[in-house]
Amino acid sequence: MSLNANSADIAFTFKGGMLPMTVMELSSADPEQIRSQLAGKLSQSPAFFQHTPVVLSVEKLDEPHLALERICAVCRDHKLLPVAVRGGAEPVRQSAWALGLGWFAPVEEGRARLLESVGPAAVSEDAVEEVDAADQEMVAVATRLFRGTVRSGQQVSASEGDLVVIGAVNAGAEVLAAGSIHVYGALRGRALAGIHGNTQAGIYCRELEAELLSVAGNYKRLEDIDSQLLGRATEVHFTQEQLEIKPLG
Amino acid sequence: MAKIIVVTSGKGGVGKTTSAAAISTGLALRGKKTVVIDFDVGLRNLDLIMGCERRVVYDLVNVIQGEAGLNQALIRDKRVENLFILPASQTRDKDALTQEGVERILEQLKQDFDFILCDSPAGIERGAQLAMYFADEAIVVTNPEVSSVRDSDRILGLLGSKTRRAEQSLDPVKEHLLITRYNPSRVTSGDMLTLDDIREILSVDLLGLIPESEAVLRASNQGVPVTHDAASDAGQAYSDTVSRLLGEDMPLRFHEVQRRGLLNRMFGGGRR
Repeated sequence: MSLNANSADIAFTFKGGMLPMTVMELSSADPEQIRSQLAGKLSQSPAFFQHTPVVLSVEKLDEPHLALERICAVCRDHKLLPVAVRGGAEPVRQSAWALGLGWFAPVEEGRARLLESVGPAAVSEDAVEEVDAADQEMVAVATRLFRGTVRSGQQVSASEGDLVVIGAVNAGAEVLAAGSIHVYGALRGRALAGIHGNTQAGIYCRELEAELLSVAGNYKRLEDIDSQLLGRATEVHFTQEQLEIKPLG
Repeated sequence: MAKIIVVTSGKGGVGKTTSAAAISTGLALRGKKTVVIDFDVGLRNLDLIMGCERRVVYDLVNVIQGEAGLNQALIRDKRVENLFILPASQTRDKDALTQEGVERILEQLKQDFDFILCDSPAGIERGAQLAMYFADEAIVVTNPEVSSVRDSDRILGLLGSKTRRAEQSLDPVKEHLLITRYNPSRVTSGDMLTLDDIREILSVDLLGLIPESEAVLRASNQGVPVTHDAASDAGQAYSDTVSRLLGEDMPLRFHEVQRRGLLNRMFGGGRR
């Protein structure tokens, strides 16, 4: 009884969590330049711009003062919600707080490299544990499993994690995932991985015949795909600013 | 208990009505009490294929709207016992069909019949959705051609989501693939999709394969379902299809190019 009474009194609990978050790495501080590039992206992948929370990273900018308010307004115009700023000098931090945004310290060079290339051999004990914790969090984000043929006109999506299809994705069908997409069968329809901007997401299939492949809004149409790869087991990743499609294994 | 089977395809002109007529005739010839319903309100065709167009008085819409009784609208087939036709209305459109009305008619027919075949209109709109909604089984008619296969794929998706069985999480609608207008020599030359291509894309059990045949056109124009033409390849293929529908194991025929022997060539050997 007392336990119940207690839990009813509790208004909230603090919990640690790792949420997938899109980082918008700014390489220009000019709001108009950002605006025109965003407009281009929006027409390419409207699904991504659904009040998506973003962290504005200004680490690569070497300017002590930023028109942060105008940059945020440009983002909101394109249905991106800036929630925090990462990096920058003291004035940037002050203006972030003034705008009601959070501020993160810049990512240290070493740690950033560690998270990108998971090479456990060279890392300290402490860091390995952190990577593991992150992995477990991702598994908890629920992989969606679909058994059977995804047929023309059907849409199957995993809005938080990975999508696994045991069967074929037929022409005219669409599969979407916040994470990666695995198709244990022929992929003949459209596959869009990393729909919330996760560029680390990939697409894997037994037989590539896809109408469209997209990772974080970067896409290739069937026409753009090397015909040598068609019909083969393939993997698709976003590397060096473009989609890379290569035979699996 | 009667089985409700929808004959559907998505795409038009692939042979739904021909197949519905041929299969219902075949079922009745095996002694099964069968009714075939034309759901293509506004584009009534089944009565022509069945050769009963001069005997239509009342139709499906009249029954749904309470203007006629079911027994007044049912037309008894002249050739086969146990076969009845419920024609569509030519003057109304598909909005005249209601889900409650269709359900009421099907429930009533279930009391008397072994098989109820619903001949679906083309498309995926209201008429097609009502024709499939109450189905226990579905025969998806497909031509060996990419657009037909894609539309069939779409219909298969709807069968898995927009039917009573799907909505009430009952056992799913049993799906059958019926390939029509199959021409083995054009398949060999690459003009048509192969049987294996179609089966691989749709991944549904094959119920039958009907060869492209002059007998079908002749049958349609004469208003005699092709099943009656037992000497023709298409008639035999539909007969095999009916056997499989009744659970018999029949070897597949007419899917390979026939080599004609010398005697066959000299004497013309049988009708196509």
